[in-house]
Amino acid sequence: MITIKVEQLSKQYMIGEQSTGFLFHDMNRWWHRIQGKDDPYLKISDLNDRTIRKTSGYVWALRDINFEVNQGEVLGIVGSNGAGKSTLLKILSRITAPTSGTVKMKGRVASLLEVGTGFHPELTGRENIFMKGTILGMRTQEVKRHFDEIVEFAGVQKYIDTPVKKYSSGMYVRLAFSVAAHISADILIIDEVLAVGDNEFQQKCIDKMKSVSTEQGKTVLFVSHNMKTIQDLCSSVITLRNGELDRSNIYYKPLIAV
Amino acid sequence: MALEKIITSSSDLKKNTTASFDPGAEGNWDIVIGPTNPLFNFQFKEIWSYRDLLRMFIRRDFAAQYKQTILGPLWHLIQPLLTTLFFYVVFSRIAKISTDGLPPVLFYLSGITCWNFFSSIFTGCSNIFVQNAWLFSKVYFPRLIMPIGNAIGALLRFGIQLLLLLPFFMYYSFNGYDFSIGWSILLLPVAILMMSLIGLSMGIIISSLTVKYRDMTIIVGFATQLLMFATPIVYPSSMIDSESLRFWIMLNPLTSVVELFRFASLGVGTVSIAGTMYSFAFMVIALIVGLILFNRTQLTAQDKV
Ligand SMILES: Nc1ncnc2c1ncn2[C@@H]1O[C@H](COP(=O)(O)OP(=O)(O)OP(=O)(O)O)[C@@H](O)[C@H]1O
Ligand SMILES: [Mg+2]
Repeated sequence: MITIKVEQLSKQYMIGEQSTGFLFHDMNRWWHRIQGKDDPYLKISDLNDRTIRKTSGYVWALRDINFEVNQGEVLGIVGSNGAGKSTLLKILSRITAPTSGTVKMKGRVASLLEVGTGFHPELTGRENIFMKGTILGMRTQEVKRHFDEIVEFAGVQKYIDTPVKKYSSGMYVRLAFSVAAHISADILIIDEVLAVGDNEFQQKCIDKMKSVSTEQGKTVLFVSHNMKTIQDLCSSVITLRNGELDRSNIYYKPLIAV
Repeated sequence: MALEKIITSSSDLKKNTTASFDPGAEGNWDIVIGPTNPLFNFQFKEIWSYRDLLRMFIRRDFAAQYKQTILGPLWHLIQPLLTTLFFYVVFSRIAKISTDGLPPVLFYLSGITCWNFFSSIFTGCSNIFVQNAWLFSKVYFPRLIMPIGNAIGALLRFGIQLLLLLPFFMYYSFNGYDFSIGWSILLLPVAILMMSLIGLSMGIIISSLTVKYRDMTIIVGFATQLLMFATPIVYPSSMIDSESLRFWIMLNPLTSVVELFRFASLGVGTVSIAGTMYSFAFMVIALIVGLILFNRTQLTAQDKV
């Protein structure tokens, strides 16, 4: 069963400074829309190669991306810095909307985007677990049920009633990953956050992702620069290059037929 | 490479994945993400399903505000009392401005309470996207929860401050002041509702503009201060004798609401049907415009903050 379907997804970013020039752009855009014409700035934007000096002030962080993910699959997303990996995950997590194209998904999404994943620094670990759980759409009772499991996996029992601003960055990620992995979401989206965890914890996370996908049938999307981890964990891999899907670099290892 | 490289083009990938595709399941998507959303879909149902989160945000705001303060929630009471004292000295003793026959302390205290309520909703909502960037950039939930939570939090503080009026009320009653409050007290919820919805709507309209034009935060800062003087807080609107000036003051949708509030809570106020209807119409239009703008802005707000 397909749980994620991405069709002709594109995302344009404005990379210049916010200034009066853009006020003019806004008015111009609005004027075009009234006349029923297309957005004039969609045409001029550049392909996103970070080594070439830009002139237009707009880039395509993603351009015409198409792929599908099956249930229980672990999809690795690789590509160099600025290739658009985080942008893709942000769109899938509904942090920002695409410029064009659609994404369709089945089930609940839990995501872990870069370090500091939406914890309130003043609140304690306990309070943050509850906040994160409810943000992901769970009722308080549900979070309570998973609470001990989450704390144990993270291994931060001692600090659970300490404000998270006093955590080390590794402890932060431990807790964040643990929350995302244990709550009842169907799709797990992980941007390269595990790098700050120690080896033992990284391995534990990889094992956990494997087991949630094979045993619980969750779909996992995973970004990493570590090819060894990707090889170890992922059932298929897509590569992004300058915001486009690199067609010569799609790997697919069929799972047990669903 | 542990993975086998078996697919070289995306059309191959498609073929391969659709092989295990269950055709009956097509179309049953839980989440559909596109470049825009329907103009009038405000996700109220989804917001309701997030009510636990709403409760949590309200509690957190309440607690976080006074963390590491000594007097804690007492500040809710000290601030209006001190402001009242200053207003009393400046506007009543020095400038000798009328208070519509009400005891000045009570007049100012109710005015300040009312204004605090409006301005905390308005300024709170106007900065939603910038202030919550740390959270909005990491997790999804219906963004409208934030302004709603903000308004409910302000309502709670307002409730506490409203209780502060009681001892003064009783003091003046015992000392022979005859408050003419009867059924008019029933208008109190109406005034409060209008006050909060006007604050919320104006706030979310500004919040959408703040994302793009940061100048807005600066404008909001002093505009709320100036707006207070364009609203009958430190003077009653019955005192305005120039017709043209009265027109301008009445143009402020808050004028009628504040007078309504004073009439409902203290029994004195210049309330007219026309003025109240005007404020009500303003509220409805601002609310619709605000919801539409907010709904659109939330889609890409995180790219800009
Ligand atoms: N808010 C934003 N405004 C403007 N441009 C942005 C914004 N966010 C990302 N970009 C641009 O989009 C492109 C893709 O960025 P993205 O963060 O997706 O890269 P990435 O593949 O995750 O890179 P990395 O490996 O370094 O994490 C970059 O060129 C970046 O400059
Ligand atoms: Mg990234």
